[in-house]
Amino acid sequence: MRLTGKRALVTGGRQGIGRGIVEAFCSEGATVTTCGRGARPDGLADDIIWYPLDVTDPDAVKALAATTNGTDILVNNAGVQVEKAVPDSSDADWDAVIGTNCRGVFNMCRAYIPRMDEGASIINIGSISGQFADPSMALYNASKAFVHGLTRSIAVDHGPKIRCNAICPGWIETGMLDAAFELANDPDAARRDAIARHATRRFGKPEDIASIAVWLASNEASFATGQLFTVDGGMTAASPLNPGLF
Amino acid sequence: MMLEGKTALVTGGRGGIGRAIVARFLREGARVYAADLTPEGSLTVHNDDGSIFVKLDVTQEADAIAAMEQVGAEVGQLDILVNAAGIEIEKTIEQTTLEEWNLSFAVNVTGTFLTSKHALPLLRKGAASGASASIINFGSYDGFIADPGLAAYCATKGAVHALTRAMACDHGPEGIRVNAICPGYVDTPMLQSFFTGDGSGGGGKTIDQLQQAVRDVHPMRTYGTPDDIANLVNWLASDEARYASGQLWVLDGGLSAQVQQMKL
Repeated sequence: MRLTGKRALVTGGRQGIGRGIVEAFCSEGATVTTCGRGARPDGLADDIIWYPLDVTDPDAVKALAATTNGTDILVNNAGVQVEKAVPDSSDADWDAVIGTNCRGVFNMCRAYIPRMDEGASIINIGSISGQFADPSMALYNASKAFVHGLTRSIAVDHGPKIRCNAICPGWIETGMLDAAFELANDPDAARRDAIARHATRRFGKPEDIASIAVWLASNEASFATGQLFTVDGGMTAASPLNPGLF
Repeated sequence: MMLEGKTALVTGGRGGIGRAIVARFLREGARVYAADLTPEGSLTVHNDDGSIFVKLDVTQEADAIAAMEQVGAEVGQLDILVNAAGIEIEKTIEQTTLEEWNLSFAVNVTGTFLTSKHALPLLRKGAASGASASIINFGSYDGFIADPGLAAYCATKGAVHALTRAMACDHGPEGIRVNAICPGYVDTPMLQSFFTGDGSGGGGKTIDQLQQAVRDVHPMRTYGTPDDIANLVNWLASDEARYASGQLWVLDGGLSAQVQQMKL
């Protein structure tokens, strides 16, 4: 077990990638706390601590941090997505996306960095969308680029005591991905086309992201900091133009 | 005129993109040597455009030395070198023969090395005359992300990117700037061959349909023209770019700014 004795906090652990990271950390021996908006989710193992928390609320984040006596691993996973171009994006969209994806990560880091010990690891969930643009995802794309920049800043400012890296997932099998395909004219054809654009010929699973999160959280990664780790089945290694698929 | 009084040598100068660069340099007032295997280059005809033809096989060191001796004898210095000669093998590594692999590196990488190496004494003289001298290499967006079935090509372009930065470090103090242009899809004989060759993957579409599909994937809804590339080469060659060095300049109509375009 690679995380025995470590205390981990994962934001947004209700479902999807966050839930996958929570479960992987548990099975590697960490003491895991997770949080999200609303009540404790169904099926969460009894030894996992749940707090209702809205990461956009700085006072609530500070209050939660004040109850801890130290954190070894912080995973900033909580995030929201709004599928709009700039002219269509409302002030409420800005507040939602920037509030959670940018300010939420900032709130958590500001509150927890002073409570982290030597050898601690912060893992932010960035995105391939922070490096290359997904169409009609303007605020989301920009918010993830913010996460990447903040990741490097924290690594520089708080090394050697704290390491900070970002994981950039590609297309991961979550409810969010299913919802996207449901909107397609021909969901089956859309799914086949998308899979063909992955060198692995499959989408990612939450456990694919959890496995790199475990490594980054572990002492095996003690020289890894300030970097973006893309796990996307090879999608962004290939040109977006693939004449073989036309 | 942005290049008045300057002397330029363009390898692959009678090919698809090379001709557009040569024509632009001439319009901007430069004296231009168009270096290529034959006066026609990769095209079938060549109308006299005012450039001076130099026979240059970029894989042959003796050719590079002879070309620079000619420029040295006639002008005495060189201000701009464009390494535009290149080839593309449309194969995976398994399909690529060692000869094809070596040829790809010989033209795209060794060619850039040899021509630049033997141009340096003349470029130093160009830099000594006041303005900075400029080398412009041809990388590719394929040096960053891969097109399927272009393994050797992708690898050579990644090598050109690294060589560009290395040359910029080594020769910047001598007043020689080194940059690479990284084109995406540009309408050249090389691209048309890609449309008709194995790289297209078939799919039962006509070439017109394939071309339209390729245009549609670009944020600018078109692929580039040789003139689009020549516009940036001209700027990098000019004194306006006197602080630009060591960089990779992607020019691809936004193609590589986006992720895969899923058909949702």
